[in-house]
Parts: sequence; C-alpha cells; structure tokens
Amino acid sequence: MPELRENEQKTLLALEQLKGKASVEQIVDVSGLAHAAVMRGVLSLTEDKLIVTHEQKQTLVSLSEEGSYHAQHGLPERRLIDSLAKLGGDAAVNSVIEDAGLEKKFVSVALGWLNRKGWATIKQGNLNPLKTPPFGDDEKLIQLLTKKTPLIVEDLSLELQKSIPNLKGRKLVEIEEKTLRELELTDDGWALVKQGIIVQQEVSQLTPELIRTGNWRNVKLRRFDVTAPGPVSFPGKIHPVQQIIQQVKEIFLEMGFTEIRGDMVETAFWNFDALFQPQDHPARDMVDTFYLANPKQGKLPKKGVVDAVAATHENGWTTGSRGWEYKWSPQEAKKLVLRTHTTATTIRYLTEHKEPPVKVFSVDRVYRNEKLDYKHLAEFHQIEGIIMDCKVTLRDLMGTLKEFYKKLGLEKVQFWPSYFPYTEPSLQSTVYVPELKNWVELCGMGIFRPEVLAPLGVKHPVLAWGGGLERLILLKLGIEDIRLLYKNDLGWIRRNPVCQQ
Amino acid sequence: MPTITLDKERFSSYVGRNISVEDMAKQLPWLGTDIEDVAQDSVKIEYNPNRVDFSSIAGVARAFCGLMGWETGLPKYDVKQGNITLTVDKSVAQVRPYIVCATVRGLKIDSDTIRELMELQEALHWMIGRDRKKASIGVHKLDAVTPPFSYVTCAPDGVKFVPLDKTEEMTPQDVLEKHEKGIAYKSQVDWAPRYPLVVDCKGQILSFPPIINGELTKVDENTHDLFIEVTGTDLNAVQRSLNVLVTALADMGGTIETVNVTYSDHVLVTPDLTPQKMTLNVDFSNMRLGLDFSEKQTIDALQKSRLDAKIVEKGVLDVTIPAYRTDILHEIDLVEEVAVGYGIFRLEPTKPATVTTGKKHIVTEITTAVRQIMIGLGFTEALNFVLTNEDDNYYKMLQKPEGLVTLANPVSTDYSIIRNDLLPSLMKNLAVSKHHVFPQRMFEVSDVIKLDDNSETYTERRIHLAAVSSHPTANFTEIKSVLESLLTNLGFENWTVTETNNPSFLQGRAATISLNDMTLGVVGEIHPELLNNFELENPTGAFEIDLQKIIDKNK
Repeated sequence: MPELRENEQKTLLALEQLKGKASVEQIVDVSGLAHAAVMRGVLSLTEDKLIVTHEQKQTLVSLSEEGSYHAQHGLPERRLIDSLAKLGGDAAVNSVIEDAGLEKKFVSVALGWLNRKGWATIKQGNLNPLKTPPFGDDEKLIQLLTKKTPLIVEDLSLELQKSIPNLKGRKLVEIEEKTLRELELTDDGWALVKQGIIVQQEVSQLTPELIRTGNWRNVKLRRFDVTAPGPVSFPGKIHPVQQIIQQVKEIFLEMGFTEIRGDMVETAFWNFDALFQPQDHPARDMVDTFYLANPKQGKLPKKGVVDAVAATHENGWTTGSRGWEYKWSPQEAKKLVLRTHTTATTIRYLTEHKEPPVKVFSVDRVYRNEKLDYKHLAEFHQIEGIIMDCKVTLRDLMGTLKEFYKKLGLEKVQFWPSYFPYTEPSLQSTVYVPELKNWVELCGMGIFRPEVLAPLGVKHPVLAWGGGLERLILLKLGIEDIRLLYKNDLGWIRRNPVCQQ
Repeated sequence: MPTITLDKERFSSYVGRNISVEDMAKQLPWLGTDIEDVAQDSVKIEYNPNRVDFSSIAGVARAFCGLMGWETGLPKYDVKQGNITLTVDKSVAQVRPYIVCATVRGLKIDSDTIRELMELQEALHWMIGRDRKKASIGVHKLDAVTPPFSYVTCAPDGVKFVPLDKTEEMTPQDVLEKHEKGIAYKSQVDWAPRYPLVVDCKGQILSFPPIINGELTKVDENTHDLFIEVTGTDLNAVQRSLNVLVTALADMGGTIETVNVTYSDHVLVTPDLTPQKMTLNVDFSNMRLGLDFSEKQTIDALQKSRLDAKIVEKGVLDVTIPAYRTDILHEIDLVEEVAVGYGIFRLEPTKPATVTTGKKHIVTEITTAVRQIMIGLGFTEALNFVLTNEDDNYYKMLQKPEGLVTLANPVSTDYSIIRNDLLPSLMKNLAVSKHHVFPQRMFEVSDVIKLDDNSETYTERRIHLAAVSSHPTANFTEIKSVLESLLTNLGFENWTVTETNNPSFLQGRAATISLNDMTLGVVGEIHPELLNNFELENPTGAFEIDLQKIIDKNK
C-alpha cells in the first residue's frame, strides 16, 4: 500500500463521506483543504489507482445583463402585445408604446419580433393583433433562469434547448462550455477507506524547536515534490571583463612577469615623444587622441632625458638614426592626454629600471577618441608585456607569444611583418579561433627602436607586445555588440556564467 | 591605414608573369600588407604608412618580385640630364619655401594610369606631405606650357586662371573662398600676404600650390610627357615625394629627366635618385633576429628586400638603399629588411632564456581581496568607464561639480569629463537594471582621477570602492553593516563612524567612516530625490571609500 500524504488522506476521507463520488469543489468544502492541495492529492491518488476522474463536458447558460432586465419586465414584444390587448386589440403604434412604457431603444426590436413571431401586423400606423400569443419557450427559459443561473443546457427539455440559439442571437443569454470533473473512489480506494484512515499531521518546515525537543520523531515531515520549480537565486559575482582581466594576469604571472601600473593621464611626452612618434604624426591628432582641457599641461622629466629625446627626433642624436628632421617642441610634449596605449607606462618604468632582466606586464585602461558603436569603444583595455634582457631576440618574442596564446587556449599562431612607430622589427600575429573557424588578428609586437631606448639610457634589447583585451573578450563570450560589456546590465551579468564551458 | 587595389592584369604586367589573385593574396602578407578583399580580378591590400612606395601598383610589384626571388637587389633607374629650368623667386621663402621638379617622358597614359597616378599623389600628400603641409605634388602635361618655369608669389587677387576641372577663371582669392579644394586647404596659405604660383615663361599658370593645378595642364589620355613639381615646407619631404613618384612612373615605362631648379644662391638638379648608404653589422642583425647568418646569407636576404650590400670588412656590410625607400632611418630598419627578405614564415619561434618570477601589483592584490569579500557579501561587480559627464556625475547626484578633470575634445556630451567618484556610475547601473529581480546589490572597485598639484600630470589616479544595495527594505543599517563587515575582513578594528551631511544621502542617515583620523569615505541611505533623478523606485543604501588610502598604507 502506498504511503499517503496528509492531503491525499483527507481527499479520500472526503470522498468517502460524499459517498464515493464528488466534484473537486465538494471535496474542498468537506475536507477543508486548499484547492491546490486537493488537486495535487487527486493527481497522485489517480496515479495510485485509488480514484478515477470522470470528465464531462457541460454547457452552461446564463442571463446577460439585458436578459436580466427583460426577465424582470418581460420581453419587449410581450409588453407591446399585452398593452395592445389592454387598449382593445387595435390601436395606434405610438399609443401602444406609450401604454407599455417601452424604452426607446427596444421599440424597433419589439416591433420586429411582433412581426417575426406572427403576433401582430402594422397597417397605416395601427397595430393589429393576429392572435393572443401563448407563453413562448424563450420566455419560459428566461423565467427559469431568474430562479437559478446558470442552468445546465443538457438537463433542459428539448423545447427549451431549441430556444437557446434565438436568445443567444438576441444577446439575452450567454453560453459557457465547461469540463466537469467528478472523482470516484475505485474498488481499491473503497478497500482502503474501509480499512480506516487515520490522518497524521504533517510538518513542512523542520524547526529548531522540533530538533531540540526530539518532537520531530512524532510528526510526519511532508515529502516535497522535488521536481517542482523553485525561486531563482543570484550569487554575487565578478564582472565578466574583470574575470578575463584576472585570467590574463594569471597567465603573465605564471610566465614570470611582474605587473606594473601607471597613470591614465599622461603627458604627450611619455605617450608619444619618448616612443619616437614625431609631433606631426597623425596618431597625435585631436581626431585620434583625447587631450585634456583641465589640467592642460603637465611637467616634463629632467632636462637630460628631454634633450636627448628632442635631439633624437630632430636629427637622431647619437643613435645613428637620421631622426624625423623637424624642430621638436617642448610645448607639444607637455600637453596632457588620456594615454592611447599602456606603452606610455612601460617606457616610464623602463627609464627607472634599466638593469636586466626586466619582465613586466599590464592589463589596463587606454583611450582613443572614437565614437561608440557596436565595434568601437573610446575607453578599453590593453594587454601589454615586455622583456628586457641582454640577449633576447625576435624569435624569442615569437616564442613568448606562442606560449602566451597557448595558455589562452589558442594553439595555432601565425606571424607577419608589420609596422609600429616605436618597434623595429615589428610583427603582427593572427590566431586561429576554432569557434569562429577563422584567423583573427590579436597582438602586435616588436623590438623597441634604438631611438626609443638610447635617449632613456636603456642599453639592452626590449621585446614588447600588446593587443586589445576587448577583442579577446568578444571572442571568448561570443558577443556581437561591444558596448554590452560596460553597460552593467545586472541581468546580463547574472546570466553570464562564472565558468565558461 | 592606407589601402590600394591591385588589379590582377596590371600587377601581372609589372611583375612580368601571370599571377592569380589567390597567389597574390597568399604571398602579399609576407611584405607586411593586410589582405582587405580578394575580388575576381583584383586584390585590395592595406599597407603600413611608413611604406609610401606601396602607394602605387608599380611599387608593390617591385617589392613582390624581390620577395619571390624573381628580381632581387637594387632596382636601377636611369635619370637623363634634362634642359628644363625652373627659377625660384625669393618671395616664396615667406610662404612655401621649397620646390623640386622632374620631367618624365614617353609614357603611355590611359584612364587606369591616370587613376593610379592620382591615388599615388593622394597617398604621398597624406603620408609624406602631412596633408599637403610639408609637401604637395603638381603633375602637368608638359606640351601645354612653355618652359622655362618659375616658382613665384602673387597678390591674392593678382592673377586669374581656370582651376582644374572648372571652366571659369578665378583669382587665388576666389579659389580659397569658393573652390572645394581651396576651402579644404586654405589654412596652408591664407595667412600669407602673397600666394605661391608655378608659372611658365608666358605667365601661364601651372598650379597654385598646395591648393590646385590649372586646367591648362590637365593630364589626359593624349599626354606622353609630364612635368612634375613638388612644393612644400620641408626640403627632405619634397625630395622624397618626388623620388617615390618618379620611380613609380619609370616603372610604368617613362624616362626620367632632371630639371635644374635655380634658387637665388644655389642650383638643385632634381630628381636625385642617388641611393642612400648605410652600414649593417651582421652580428647586430643576428643578435636581434636570433639567427646565425653569414655575410652572404644576410646579403641574399637584403637583396630579396630590393637592397644591395657588399662586405666592407668581416661582419660589416655596406648597404645601398633605393631612393624610394623613405622609411629606413637606422641600422635596425635594415635588420627588419633581412627578416622580411629571408621570410618571416621561416623564422622558428624560440623560448627566451630569461628567468624571472612574477609578482602582482599591490593594487591588484588588494582589489582582489576586496572583490572576494564583496562577492561573499552578495554583491555583483560592475565595471564602468571613467569617462562620464557633469549631469550624471554631479547634478543628478545633487552635488556641485568640483575639481573636474575635463576633456578638450570630447567625442560626445556623454563623455566629457573624468569621474572622481564611483557612486554615480553605480546609480546609472541600477537605472539600467531596474527591470531585473530585486534585491540588487552591486559594487565597483576601480579608477577615479583627481586633481593633484604635486604630480607630474597634475592629476592622480586613485582606486575607490563603492557599493549599492537596492530593494524594498534597504536602509542605512544594512549598508553600514556591509561596510563594517568589509573593514573587519580587511583586518581593521578601530574605525569611527560620525554623522555627516551629504546632499546625496538622507539627513540623519549618512555617516563618514574614518580610520585613525583618516577619513575613508561615506555611507548612507540615498536621498529619494536622487532616486527620482535616476528613475529608481527602491530604497537604496550606498557607500564609497577611498581604497587608495588603504593600499598606500600597505605599500
């Protein structure tokens, strides 16, 4: 015998009391259970074959608002024919209406039905009765409905049933289809209730009180439907971009790099001049770079460094370069910008740390004067790594990149010649992204030019590479619109898994 | 980055053999160009702005032949001595001091050539000329005018001529005011009392540099001989532009002739295609590239990059560089030529021998700990731009703008200043998220920038932490408890809480938090007027602290 829950026991007992057959509503009344509890009980009792459910379709008829009005006052055509009889059986239409006190809105309906029912005709404004009409089936039904509404159509006499379409057409009654469920105890069900059911009280929440007193032994803990959907929980979590920043930082740390950090506001000197970007270089244009209005200018470093950088721009200084052959302006170099690359921070660091080996990295905010759209941001993150040592080579740089990509899960890498103003030789790398089935350009790289290093007193080769973090994030998260990353829509952050499968 | 479309037929004729677009697309990247598009009969490439010689199909073809090993070493260009003279008037020194010239004869010019020539000029104007400032080019049909020529100045309304592609005569003044090129480039000359002109011996006008040529010398399909003048403010730039242009025209089948450019105190015979010389140490090249090349191998690679070299002593090469290669500044540039000539695809990656251990920045260490605590307290991280605007950051927050770091050239009104606190960003995030399930608890641990007179940039980057908790029963007590829990878990014990007035918070429900007399920040219940400003409907508790103070303590 199945173990019954409290609601199931009470449902069976109610059915027994109702002589083995009843509707859900009746069981609710008798058992005192909630409707939902009865329904849950019915489901499992049916499964256990203790009860069966009989379903019966029923059509219910009830009076409409207008129907109720006529039920009170009589159908309009009845009111006219009655008044006509009162006035002697032949009278002017207007006087009949007046006598009946018929509302204006019912006049044409009433005259129409007098005619259709064959009760009277109108001749030259006079109403002539044809017969004294008996009480019609429609009127009988309306009368019945005033006593009890709704009525079950299937229980009505055939004549009354036939009057329904007509009344429905006149919008005096409303029809509703309903499925009636009647529950009946099966033989097994009867056998069970005959044995006698003792209802045991169930407890849904185990309480400290029950645990402490040991009373939990005396109560029945309700079994839950463990498959039922419950409320959703949202954990606090890390921002998806921050998560990938941390992953990339971990990779650098695993590869033995030290993290560096610098100001987002930089002088043009460190952002451009120290990196041998001539002052008329298009990248320094207002169209590409954010300049500050307040504060407008910063301070240049000590004179020796400034002079060496200036001379390198103008004529190559002692570097063996021909330089950019123009008059270098300290005013231009003092301008404050939002750094366009983290290389500004890197080169500052190198100036302070000239002893090899140096292996440093940053993953940090950079800026381009760009209008925001689904592909472009004005503010984003750059990944950058550098190695300075006595004997590092371009091939070492390629090998380092391969290792870096491999740790990001990107196995296939290709290198191409490229150009950056402050590295030579310069390479571009593309990686194969299996999810996209395509090669994607990621990091650029190169060896810092002597024109960059010599004025700052750095004597050993510096390998450098860098790329946009957001590009990598778009690949990893499969996002089309880059703006989504910084909208901070809580719904998006909540949906985004902490662990990408 | 500049682009050029390489027509398969033309490219094939330049390289002297039939080549498919597939092969072009496969090999061209090894020259450092990006494939933009592969069409049925052409390949569009993007090239780096240092390689101005890639601005003509002829120039790309030249390098391509070297890479493929079809033609290696320095391309030879014959320059015949010409007899045309151009005299430079002293007055040009005040406005646009330099001019160099050349003639190129015997060209077969069709509409494709004209288009290639125009694209080449535009590329040079941009890349070397810096938008025509340092150098601009005029290419003329030689037959239409009569040498000798002069480079002179005139009063703004001193002459009249028909500008290119127009039918009406205009003065230079009219050109600057009405002509589309005049309007675009007027700032190059409009400040000067007299404007530059190139004229022939009859006073006919070839060009009004750097604005526009005359219609008179327009190059058409009946043109065979060209007169070329390059004017500018930088002698190196005008000479390099001329060299890149005439070598491309020579590759198109023209014969280069010199012009005698007579300045008041000296004569320049141009173009001067004498190759540049530079020394390359083979060891230096090997050390940078990680190779062990002999002199011979190094020379072979250089020749594939269309340079020539000979050994001057053991391990030292004398390298000659063609005049169109304007990008070679230093020995290190030759090292790249070796790598590209050898083929980047042949370089095997190696692992550097440098051994180091890694270390996180203190900011990362502390923000990671803070992040962990805040997440444990049920808060979700936000990450916002530091760029913002006064309305969101101050007025909506019921605060007065103070100590603003502002942009000179904002791209939109939404991003015109740099934030100096985080809370406004989080309020915006709540506004964006208001249709999601509550409670909503968010935090940000990130950058703000403040003015700082002692810093080299007069600004200072600081790390702040802010948090908000928004739901129907949020209040001061809850958010204060969160902040105190954070401080406890950061290892602090004796902080003080003092009631404060802050327009962003409800009076009597706001406090400052201090640590040993050092103010850390503020905690409170957000003012309902502020909630209305952000169209928020739930009570919200918030705090913001200057985490940098804690970080600096840990340094």
